[in-house]
Amino acid sequence: MAAPAISSQAVSQRYRTRSRAVGLGRALVLTIGCVLLLAYLLGPIVWLVSSSVQTEAEIVSVPPHWIPDDPTLQNFDAIFFAGDKAITYDTRAQADPLSGGYIPSTAANLLPGLRNSFVVALTVVVLNLLVGVPAAYALAKIRFRGRQASIYAILTTRVIPDIALVVPLFLVIRNLGLLDDVRSLIITYLAITVPFTVFILVSYFESLPDDLDKAARVDGCSRLQALLRVFLPLSLPSLVAVVLFSFLTSWNEFLLALMFTQTPKAQTLPIVVASFTSDFTISFSFINAAGVVAIIPPVILAVLFQRYLVSGLTAGAVKG
Amino acid sequence: MARIRFDQVTKRYGPVIAVDQLDLEIRDQEFVVLLGPSGCGKTTTLNIVAGLEELSDGDLYFDDTIVNFMPPHRRDVAMVFQSYALYPHKTVYDNIAFGLRMRGGHSREEIDRRVRDAALRLHIGHLLERKPQQLSGGQRQRVALGRAMVRQPAVFLMDEPLSNLDATLRISMRAEIKQLHQAMQTTFVYVTHDQAEALTLADRIVVMRDGLIQQVGGPSDIYEQPRNTFVASFLGSPPINYLEGTLSEDAGRLVFRRGDFSVELPSEVAPAAPVDGGREVILGIRPEDVVERPAIEPASIRGRINSVLPIGSDEYLGVEIEGVGCFFRVGKEVQHGTGEPVALDVHARRVHLFDPRTGEALLRRPGAGLAS
Repeated sequence: MAAPAISSQAVSQRYRTRSRAVGLGRALVLTIGCVLLLAYLLGPIVWLVSSSVQTEAEIVSVPPHWIPDDPTLQNFDAIFFAGDKAITYDTRAQADPLSGGYIPSTAANLLPGLRNSFVVALTVVVLNLLVGVPAAYALAKIRFRGRQASIYAILTTRVIPDIALVVPLFLVIRNLGLLDDVRSLIITYLAITVPFTVFILVSYFESLPDDLDKAARVDGCSRLQALLRVFLPLSLPSLVAVVLFSFLTSWNEFLLALMFTQTPKAQTLPIVVASFTSDFTISFSFINAAGVVAIIPPVILAVLFQRYLVSGLTAGAVKG
Repeated sequence: MARIRFDQVTKRYGPVIAVDQLDLEIRDQEFVVLLGPSGCGKTTTLNIVAGLEELSDGDLYFDDTIVNFMPPHRRDVAMVFQSYALYPHKTVYDNIAFGLRMRGGHSREEIDRRVRDAALRLHIGHLLERKPQQLSGGQRQRVALGRAMVRQPAVFLMDEPLSNLDATLRISMRAEIKQLHQAMQTTFVYVTHDQAEALTLADRIVVMRDGLIQQVGGPSDIYEQPRNTFVASFLGSPPINYLEGTLSEDAGRLVFRRGDFSVELPSEVAPAAPVDGGREVILGIRPEDVVERPAIEPASIRGRINSVLPIGSDEYLGVEIEGVGCFFRVGKEVQHGTGEPVALDVHARRVHLFDPRTGEALLRRPGAGLAS
């Protein structure tokens, strides 16, 4: 009797040791995987931020300095005060290319570009909500002929790649006399973002019970009041997703902005930043500083709304 | 306070007719229950009263005003939903106060007083600051009732409000709803598919099927004098037993026969159509309309017990009559066992006769309110 008991004890001990080893191994693999993924995702951003406070000479040094030896704010100074300096070929030529200190000829466009980007993105966000919310409520909660067909029609517009629409859109914008006008961007970005907004909100509103709508209306709400008082407060996660999506789409859009705008009057940030590479000498540190400025607003937005973000992006993905 | 009148009200969804030429008058302060299986049009009818569905044809009157296209927020109605439909983002207090605030015309103090009164009456005074998801089903149900009653509406609509509650709670809430009706003195329209709920609560029951009214009447009328086989089998649990057979006149007496089984009908309940020496009929016997006899006495039903279903107070016996399985209620004084013989006598005065083709009731009873 005693011998088998000992052996079974030994067996369980061996299993215990082995399961501990397996557990440790799994944790190790997971940790390494996470670190690699994080490095892959965050590497470019860390480099962007780090190099934005480096001089041109330090940026090109080998091996690269992830932590700058001699951090400088000269690039940011140049961004925010470039408008005060006259930048000509001569002033650029005088600057020492190794130590940096020179700035792109179009640097003064950066702040107007930033302002244009804000105007376009915020207007697109507001109009998206104004158009998308009532449209989605109607499609989700009011039964009418052609309802399903409308939803599909709206969605179908999203399967056409933007580049296929560039020429027709250009002609439309030109005929409207809106070339080199931020309004051209607002109009076209709405065409891109509203279908997606409606799609997200329709699936979310559909997931909210019809009885809530009925209860609100019996309680004395008109359709609009039911939407504002009952549906919107319950839809915060999907509204946040919509706000972020439309803001980021407008903020990052390049192709249409390149086609429709020519001067700083209407150019947005991506176009202005891209123009910094058109000089004879390219200041990477300045471009990176501009990049930092460009990612700050979306990052602030994401941090503000991150609480709602995950539930919003999956909202309506699964019914029930 | 309101009288509701349906005048040929029809509701169509494309080719489907949900409510078909409904004619009905609901009196002021009456408790009317719309009863029927799912898909019979009862909830659609309720939604039409609330204004949540527009009718396709006909007219709906509140008192003497046509309200066909009046939106719900302009009608003086309140509604309790099967799902309760509480606003998840609002506290219990705000849920109850919402209707008063939206309809306007009440001071803050007045709203507060009414909300607290209603909460006190429904025993949810201590829950006012909670959100709906922190409440049990019964508590949510009370909040939904509170939200409706606080407005003191002219018409109180309820769409299967008790069907999500457990059995015990359902029975106690039934009593509370009945008290609420007495206290509020307002018109109640209540939708359910539960016949027991309908029989307990209603002043009048409207039995519906496929968008058509089958019968309108008081609970006992509907139960005792069903107009057709559908109504007869929809009310009562276990349902009425049906036996197909022939009815013939035998020396001035009406006798129903099926094989060896026969029941003699009393003379005062002559059938509506002539018998002419024998016609096919369906005999309906409610499970409780039999008396058990000692085995030696003559009895109309003799058979063996297929099954015994005790329900505490009584027992139901499964007995086969000429090839048809039937259930009868007996007292539990006598012990019954499966396979034992049993003798039952049918209350001939209480049986029902139906036309096998149309399903319509054939017997005439004094004072029977067969029509609406």
